[in-house]
Amino acid sequence: MVFKPKFFKGKFRATIITVLLFLGLAGVCALRASGGPQSSAAQADQAKESWRKEFDSICAKTQDAMTFSQEELTDLIRRCDALLPQIEKLDETRKKVYVGRLRMCRGLYAYVLDAKKKEKK
Amino acid sequence: MNKRISIALVLILVSCGLLCGQALSQTGVKKKRPLPYEYGRVIINNYPDKADLAPVVFEHWIHRSMFTCRVCHVDIGFAMKAGGTDIKAADNARGYYCGACHNGKMVADGKTVFQACSRKVNVEDEKRCVRCHSYGQKVASDFDFFQFSQPLPKERFGNGLDWEKSEELGLIKPASYLPGVSIQKNSLAVQKDFALNPKVEGMPNIIFSHKKHTVWNGCELCHPDIFMGVKRGTVKYSMVDISEGKSCGACHTTVAFPLTDCQRCHSKPVQP
Repeated sequence: MVFKPKFFKGKFRATIITVLLFLGLAGVCALRASGGPQSSAAQADQAKESWRKEFDSICAKTQDAMTFSQEELTDLIRRCDALLPQIEKLDETRKKVYVGRLRMCRGLYAYVLDAKKKEKK
Repeated sequence: MNKRISIALVLILVSCGLLCGQALSQTGVKKKRPLPYEYGRVIINNYPDKADLAPVVFEHWIHRSMFTCRVCHVDIGFAMKAGGTDIKAADNARGYYCGACHNGKMVADGKTVFQACSRKVNVEDEKRCVRCHSYGQKVASDFDFFQFSQPLPKERFGNGLDWEKSEELGLIKPASYLPGVSIQKNSLAVQKDFALNPKVEGMPNIIFSHKKHTVWNGCELCHPDIFMGVKRGTVKYSMVDISEGKSCGACHTTVAFPLTDCQRCHSKPVQP
């Protein structure tokens, strides 16, 4: 025999569900208003931006490559390598464009690093 | 006697024929020298057949008058070899490659730049498509080479124009930054020009304008893809390699002044 309380039947049940739904909606609105957790789309947008910021930051320095120390160049190359997997996850077009651009930046830093190493010898 | 002469003539003719045949098999058919407005033209024929469109005719001269090489070949990402970019209509429609400028929004010289490719195409769009997909078709262009080149200083080969001087005189102003695409960079320290010794004795030294090349190309366009030698003099360049499109030939056989203009590189006066 299964226990079924009387108040979970009929109109009373419908009222409870409505109240719960209302409370849930109010909670979500309050979270939004207080700047709480963002939607997954907004988080995805932020993630998109983060790779671009890092890309711009790395490749904006190509003009100054000759002035960098070996350590700085090694760090830039490391950052290029770390960024590549993120770019490879992008859609086909952006992947094609930015993998190529990143390859050029990395290539230049590696080239200058090589030149500096040979200079020291 | 007559018989002997005719046999000799036949032998000479046969050997000439054989020599010509051999020469052609080694070098192929001699290429026609492009006309000034054709120089630098690129025919892009990746996928148009599938869309029932003619190949794209890309005119370098009009684009290079507006942008430095770096904007297109570094910032936008066009490969240095024809067909190397694998451009698709979808790429352009998303605002990349040709679509970076040809988006129907950008304004250049007071004109809105026409949109390259779009996801949805109407019958009315056909006129827009053939502006680029124009190979083998008679399509009127907004730009007339002869009108454009009239005020510019002349040169003997290539486009018949001195692009460097044109910029110096302020007659063209190639932009080196494309908003939303290029990265804001520090200005490059002025690079010193240097001399290179040619292999052939008596040939004037090459004065390489590092300054000019870096202003137009930046660093990463040439190093290390085109010039991989780190220390000057370690890599030997030959005219054969250059004419095959290696090192200087990457640009100076296609877009920049051609190799036939010897004294523009071999420019150091010879001391008596």
